[in-house]
Amino acid sequence: MAIVILLILPFFISDYIVSVLLNILMWIALTESWMILSGYTGYISLGHAAFFGVGAYIMALLWRKLPFFAIVPLGGLSSMFLAFAIGFPCLRIRGPYFVILTLGLSEFTKYLFINWEVNVSGTVGRILMGAPDLHIFYYSMLVIAGLGVAVASWIRSSRFGVGLRSIKEDEEAAESLGINTSVYKWLAFGISAFFPGLVGSVMALRWTYIDPYTVFNPIVSFQIIVIAFLGGVTEVEGPLLGAIVLTLISEVLWAKYPYYYMIILGVILIILVYFIPTGILEPLKGLIKSRVALKWRSS
Amino acid sequence: MEERVLQLIFVGLIIGSIYSLIAVGLNLIYGTMRLLNIAHGELIMVGAYTTFWLFTLMGISPLFSLFLSGLASALLGALIGQFIFLPTIRKTKSVVVLESNSLLIFFALSIIFQNVASLLWSADIRGYSYLTQIVKIGGVPLMLNRLTAFITALIISVLCYLLLQRTMLGKAIRALIQDREASQLVGINTKRIYLFSFTISFAMAGLAGCLISMFYEITPFMGLPYTITAFIVIVLGGLGNIMGSLLGGFLLGLVETIGISVTSPGLRSIISYGIFIAVILIRPKGILGRGV
Repeated sequence: MAIVILLILPFFISDYIVSVLLNILMWIALTESWMILSGYTGYISLGHAAFFGVGAYIMALLWRKLPFFAIVPLGGLSSMFLAFAIGFPCLRIRGPYFVILTLGLSEFTKYLFINWEVNVSGTVGRILMGAPDLHIFYYSMLVIAGLGVAVASWIRSSRFGVGLRSIKEDEEAAESLGINTSVYKWLAFGISAFFPGLVGSVMALRWTYIDPYTVFNPIVSFQIIVIAFLGGVTEVEGPLLGAIVLTLISEVLWAKYPYYYMIILGVILIILVYFIPTGILEPLKGLIKSRVALKWRSS
Repeated sequence: MEERVLQLIFVGLIIGSIYSLIAVGLNLIYGTMRLLNIAHGELIMVGAYTTFWLFTLMGISPLFSLFLSGLASALLGALIGQFIFLPTIRKTKSVVVLESNSLLIFFALSIIFQNVASLLWSADIRGYSYLTQIVKIGGVPLMLNRLTAFITALIISVLCYLLLQRTMLGKAIRALIQDREASQLVGINTKRIYLFSFTISFAMAGLAGCLISMFYEITPFMGLPYTITAFIVIVLGGLGNIMGSLLGGFLLGLVETIGISVTSPGLRSIISYGIFIAVILIRPKGILGRGV
C-alpha cells in the first residue's frame, strides 16, 4: 500500500519533496545492500563507496551511447563483477583487517580513477549533458530501492541468509556445520555491490558532473554506516528507518550548516554505538507496542 | 648519479621517520587495546594546526611548540580515552563487537575533528616557512627544516624505544600487548595502562603533526592520508609490534620515494595502497608480526 502512495505521489507534490524522497530512496538502496554483507555476516565494509563510484563512471562513459535503462543495469553489473573479482582474496581476511582493507581498496580505486583521468584521458571530471526529467530518476530509484529491500528481505529468510547470519555468530562453528563460508561471503559481497553500482549510475546522471573525489568519497561509506547503525543492521526495516531519519536531519542542516551537520552526525554515531549498538528500531518498536498496549488496556 | 641515489635515500628516510612516529602511535593503541584508531590522522592535524597558530600568531618556534602540540594532543587523548573508550571497553562484552564499535566511534571522532577544524579555522590551505635554508649533507642538498624534523623524529623514536624497553611502564605496555588476561593476573593495572597508551599515542600523533607542519600544507582534511599510511606501516611491520612499526615506517618511506622517482609523483598513493593491499592479502601479519 505504501508502494502505491509512493508511485502516485510525485504528481501531487512539489519537485523539492520529490528530490528529498529520491535521496531517501537512494540511501535505502545503499544501506540495504550494505547490510547484505556487513549486517548479516558482520564483515564491516568501509568500501561501499567504491562500487558507487564505479557505477557512476560507467554512466559517465556510456551516456549518450546507450539508453538510460540499459546503462544503469550495466553499472550495477560492473560493480558486481568487480566485487566478485576481488572478493575471494579479500574475504579471507577477518575482523579489523577486513575493515581497513575495504577502506584501503576504496581509496585505491579513487586514486586509480584520478590517475586515469589525469594521465590517460586528460579530463577533469565528467560532464553529462541532457539528463532526463526528475520523475524518471525518482521512479528508477524507487525500483532500485524496492529491489534492494526485496532482495535483502528474501535473503534474510532464505537458507543463504541463515548461513550468512551464522557467520556473524561464529564463523568456525558455521564451517564445521558444513556451510561453505568462503562462497557465502563471496556471494554476499557480490550481491551487495550490485546496488551501489545501480545507484551510482543513476546519481551520476542526476548530478550531471562527477569526479573521483565526489563519487568515491569515503563520506558515502560513512553515511551508510551511520544509517545502518541508526536503524539497526539486522532487520530489513532498519535501513528504511535510518535513511528516513538521517535524510530529514540532513535536509534541515546540510544546506545551511554543513559542518555542524557532520559534527552532529558524528556525535549521533558515538551516542548510538555506545548506548544502542543495535539501532533505534527495536527500542522504537518496543515504545510503540507499549503505547498501543496501554491504549488497549485503558479502552 | 650517486648523489641522486643518496638524495632519494635521504628523502625516503626523512619521510620514513615521520611515518614511523605516526605508526608507533597507532600501533600502541592497537596493541594494547585492539582498537583501530581511524582518527589518528586528525590528531596529526590538530598538532599541525597548534604549531601553525603558535608560530603565526605568537612567533613561537615549531621546535618549542613540539612540546605544546604534543601536550595538547596528549590531553585530548587522555580525555577521549577516559570518557569515551574506557566506559566502552567496560561495557562491551565481546572483543569482536568492541573492535567494530570502537572503529565506528573513532570514525565518528575523525569526522567531528575535521568539521570542528573547518568551522574554527576554515578549510583554506595553510602553511608557513621555517628553517628553509639549504644545507648539504654528504654533497646532497637538503632543506634544514626537513633535516631538523628527521633528527627530532629519530630522537622521539629512540625515547619511545627506551620507554618501552627500559621502564616499568614500558614493560607493562609490552605485557599488555602480549596477553591481556595474563597481564591482569600478574597485577598490571590495565585501565591505567590503557590511559597511558592513549595519551602517548595521541601525543606522538601531535608531535608528528608539528613536524609535518613545517614543510607540508595544513588543511582540516589532511589527516586521512596519514591515517592510511599509518595503517600500511603497522600492517607492514606487524600489528602490535612496535619495533615493526619503527622499521616499517622507514621501509615505506624508502619504497615510496624510490617508487615515485622511477614512476611519477602522482602514483604515490597508488604505490602505497598497492603495497598495503598486497601485504594484507599475502602476509597479513607483516614482516615482523607474530600473528593475527
